[in-house]
Amino acid sequence: MSLNDTLKNLRENGIDEAKRAERLQELNDLRVNLLGKKGPITKALRGMKDVPAEERPEIGTLANNVKKDIQEAIEEKMSELNKKLVAKKLEEEKIDVTLPATKQTQGTRHILNQTIEDIEQFFIGLGYEVAGGYEVEEDHYNFERLNIPKDHPARDMQDTFYLSDELLMRTQTSAQEGRDMEAHDFSKGPLKMISPGVVYRRDDDDATHSHQFHQIEGLVVDKNISMADLKGTLDALCRHVFGPDREIRFRPSYFPFTEPSVEVDVSCFNCGGEGCRICKYTGWIEVLGAGLTHPNVLKMSGIDPNEYSGMAFGLGPERFAMLKYGVTDIRDFYLNDVRFLEQFKGVN
Amino acid sequence: MKISVNWLKEYIPVTHTVEEMADKISLTGIESGPVSLGEKLSGLVVGHITSVKPHPDSDHLKVCMVDVGESEDIQIVCGAPNAAADQYVIVALHGAHLPDGTKIKRGKLRGQESNGMICGLDEVGVPEKYMPEEFENGIYVFDEPQKPGVAVYDLLGLKDQMIDIDITPNRADTLGMRGAAWEIGATYDEKPVFKKPELDATKVKDMNDVTVDVEEKDLVPDYLIRELKDITVGKSPLWMQRRLWNQDIRPVNSVIDAANYVMIEYGQPIQAYDLDKLQDKKLVVKFAKDGDKFKIADEEKTLTHDDLIIASGNEIVGLAGVDNGSIAAVDENTKNVLLESGVFNSTSVRKTAQRHDLRGDDSTRFEKGVDNGAVDEALVRATQLVDESSNASEISNVITGNLTKAEPTIIKGKISHINHLMGLQLTTDEIVKILDRLGFTVDVSDDDIVVTIPTRRWDMAIEADLVEEVNRIYGYENLPNTLPAGMETRGGYSAKREFSNKLRNVLLGEGLDEVINYSLLSKQEVEDFNVIKTEYTKLLHPMTEDHEYLRNSLIPGLVRNIAYNQARKNDDLGIFEQARIFDRPTGQDRPNEVEYISGAVSGNVLNASWNTEDKAADFYYVKGIVDELLSFTNADAKFEYEATDEYDNMHPGQTAKILANGQVIGFVGKLHPNYQSDHSVADTFVFELNIDMMFDLNSKNVQAQSAPKYPSISRDLAILVEKDIENGQIVTDIFENGGKYLQDVKIFDVYQGKNIKPNHKSLGYHLEFLNPNDTLTDDEVEKAFSLVKNSLIQKFNVEIR
Ligand SMILES: [Zn+2]
Repeated sequence: MSLNDTLKNLRENGIDEAKRAERLQELNDLRVNLLGKKGPITKALRGMKDVPAEERPEIGTLANNVKKDIQEAIEEKMSELNKKLVAKKLEEEKIDVTLPATKQTQGTRHILNQTIEDIEQFFIGLGYEVAGGYEVEEDHYNFERLNIPKDHPARDMQDTFYLSDELLMRTQTSAQEGRDMEAHDFSKGPLKMISPGVVYRRDDDDATHSHQFHQIEGLVVDKNISMADLKGTLDALCRHVFGPDREIRFRPSYFPFTEPSVEVDVSCFNCGGEGCRICKYTGWIEVLGAGLTHPNVLKMSGIDPNEYSGMAFGLGPERFAMLKYGVTDIRDFYLNDVRFLEQFKGVN
Repeated sequence: MKISVNWLKEYIPVTHTVEEMADKISLTGIESGPVSLGEKLSGLVVGHITSVKPHPDSDHLKVCMVDVGESEDIQIVCGAPNAAADQYVIVALHGAHLPDGTKIKRGKLRGQESNGMICGLDEVGVPEKYMPEEFENGIYVFDEPQKPGVAVYDLLGLKDQMIDIDITPNRADTLGMRGAAWEIGATYDEKPVFKKPELDATKVKDMNDVTVDVEEKDLVPDYLIRELKDITVGKSPLWMQRRLWNQDIRPVNSVIDAANYVMIEYGQPIQAYDLDKLQDKKLVVKFAKDGDKFKIADEEKTLTHDDLIIASGNEIVGLAGVDNGSIAAVDENTKNVLLESGVFNSTSVRKTAQRHDLRGDDSTRFEKGVDNGAVDEALVRATQLVDESSNASEISNVITGNLTKAEPTIIKGKISHINHLMGLQLTTDEIVKILDRLGFTVDVSDDDIVVTIPTRRWDMAIEADLVEEVNRIYGYENLPNTLPAGMETRGGYSAKREFSNKLRNVLLGEGLDEVINYSLLSKQEVEDFNVIKTEYTKLLHPMTEDHEYLRNSLIPGLVRNIAYNQARKNDDLGIFEQARIFDRPTGQDRPNEVEYISGAVSGNVLNASWNTEDKAADFYYVKGIVDELLSFTNADAKFEYEATDEYDNMHPGQTAKILANGQVIGFVGKLHPNYQSDHSVADTFVFELNIDMMFDLNSKNVQAQSAPKYPSISRDLAILVEKDIENGQIVTDIFENGGKYLQDVKIFDVYQGKNIKPNHKSLGYHLEFLNPNDTLTDDEVEKAFSLVKNSLIQKFNVEIR
């Protein structure tokens, strides 16, 4: 048999064997056996010396092609077997994805803090500083500086926990106004601040009353503050909190430390103003009190009311959260049943 | 107060429904709601009882023949004891509807036909406590003949339309019909018209038989009296009675009703005294003496020297501005009467009324203020009304105890400033017109205005008040929405708030739920965790013993939350709170307010499931949370844990103080088993950290370093050491002797018990060496490792295993 034929035979047998292989090992063995240094092709090529010189290149090319073809056949088969193996493995690894997860927990921010922080972020965006304030406050700041002198009837409206004649648990975050106005350097621009925190009233705890609750006081003092600024600011706030389609309205009211004073209603987010149980069939829900800072309050902080004006507003995070999420008992916020707390995961 | 539309119509035209009016008044002035009386009433007419026969089969029923304006009288069986022939009464015809939902049907009562019902006032909608006493147990009988068959609603005010106004304390000017007419008139641009009251000039005389002495002139700026002689006290006219009972005031007699009527009409309380019951024909307005007794209906009040009284001789006939007692009360036999109209200091009235639990229509008005410009006219009006119904023979001129000239308030303002505060550009004309609607007169000179405010609007004092009046009447709905347009400001949190927010986020990330607790605790609770050893801060007048002291730790609140949850089978809990505690140094009144962050973990931190086993919370789990928290403080400080047994309610063997640079900043540990069982909580691990102290630590100055490029070499070390030697001591010593390439020491094994010497434990450590700049050699590491071992042997007598 000519060398030529021998090589062609080897190719035929090699490809055939590769195709018949069923395991990767067989193919590896085949590669070593056929194509290795001790394999039949190498061996056959030793007969090259008997081939006439002019035919040698042709034989050489043939030999290389034979190797290449066998190689390809082996690789092709290998890839085929590999695919089958992977498919089998994947099939074996299939799991029931409906089994429950391995629990990973993040805690839930308290819904009141979520509500407060949502409002804080809104005002920070408008350039307001978030101020702190004291929970134990002097009568002077909690009342007198807010235009509520000792015998003022407004002191009856908010029964107070006193610690001594002069010290009390603050009844309103407005108590911070005097301190903030005193501390502010108006040559550096307007005072724009909100002051969130806990306040206290001598109330019996029930579904709608709590001896401790939160407030957020807002105060802006500058040369050109107007009722329209107050309305625009609170309108934007209510849209932020209660939805972009909300409107607000002002109703005249009375607070000793603002003049004019208004109650602010937001159009009912439940019925859109048609009237429902939540808005007591009025289409409007009272959400906060506001007004222009009373000139006496400015004066007591050394600010000239002819040059400056201020706007102030106070809102209750408990009330906001109760309205927004349908909480019906204010005590739920302070009982801290984790099933109550965790339902507010990520709402804000 | 309820504003009757029928009454209001005497002063201004009314063309809107009460619903529309209440809405509009709410938006421009005073919160209001519509009231429509008797909406369901029907079939009620005047009846004339033409005859009454006893019922043949009943000893209390009567068979009445009643003329109801039809061709024939109808028969009605009636059980009222006061029913009698020739009475004009309320008849509910067959098919009539009563307010309680009853529908009247013709039928038989004990065999006698009854074609309707003769009604009492309470049955047709006048509450029993506001109807005249004489009709309380029977049917209502008209004082005067009425036309049979005519509907009774207007006669009795049963279907009156009203606007119920809920005033803010500054708008007491609307606690009278006339003030309300001004307010509602301004809303609708209608000026009210009032008739001036006049007395019968032929009866008016100067009289000198009664004198008045006001001792406290500062507190009683106005005190006027008029005397009416030889009156006949009877019933007041029906029109007055129906207005009173619709104001929730019970008609009593022609004098008291007139006084009450004027209070509603003018907002000015009027008192009446029976002149013949006065001990002395002199009224003195003065302070009571402590212990003085004041008689009212069936009660006696003990007064204090802060109570203003009206005295006659040594008797107290009135508590000024609050109540006129029973000694000189006007009754049906009164012949000569004194009417009093005055102004009493609001604070004094408020305190007296509160002190003696006597707040009422009078004191409410004096507390909030009355129009001192109307004191005189209101007295004339009351005198006129008493005279009209009770027919005096003589009327005195006004007898003055004190009188302060009522001056209008003058407010100066600038059109530009008013506009600027509103954020509007109204013309001078527009502003003047609005002020005119309110009955204010305005002098304009360029930008300046001088506004004269009548005495009835005593709430008005400064330019800002004008801003409110103009803005509300102009309409808040017409305000544009703008934002403050001043200099740019940079908003944000304080650095400390940012810091505490960061710590809260770490704990949320660790899976703890955030809670908010009350700051006021019980005495027991502040004693339980006085870890900071502060003086307690107590409320002067607490509401309950549960909330009496300011908290000195957040732990009692967290324990309460754990107990509350575990009682509801929420067994596995991780919670934290960031809030203030109150730390009061000895000798200081005011407590310092310190920000704290505290947490509690109880039950399992991992629950068994189909692929996991459960893991209970333990000290080290919570310590891990604290470690992570401390690492996020970014503080350049050395944090350490130091075992402590000094906190009463903490486990003495599982509690550590947390130190930063040697200063205690908090603690972590397990609650004492006794405390746990007292509070019904499972094993609970808590921590508490002082945020203010952590915030004050210096921050790390972080300079980036590349991750090491050379491999590290490690050595494991197993030692046998006495049980009481702490891991912390060993680790510190390893670091001290491990050389500069020692990067990390990890403990991987702690074992005591079987196969270990008594009182000893076996510890396994993994030491990691690394030279960031070069490849370490085994020799270098071996050298350092021997130094470590030798030191441990010397210092702690350890056995290397
Ligand atoms: Zn609604």
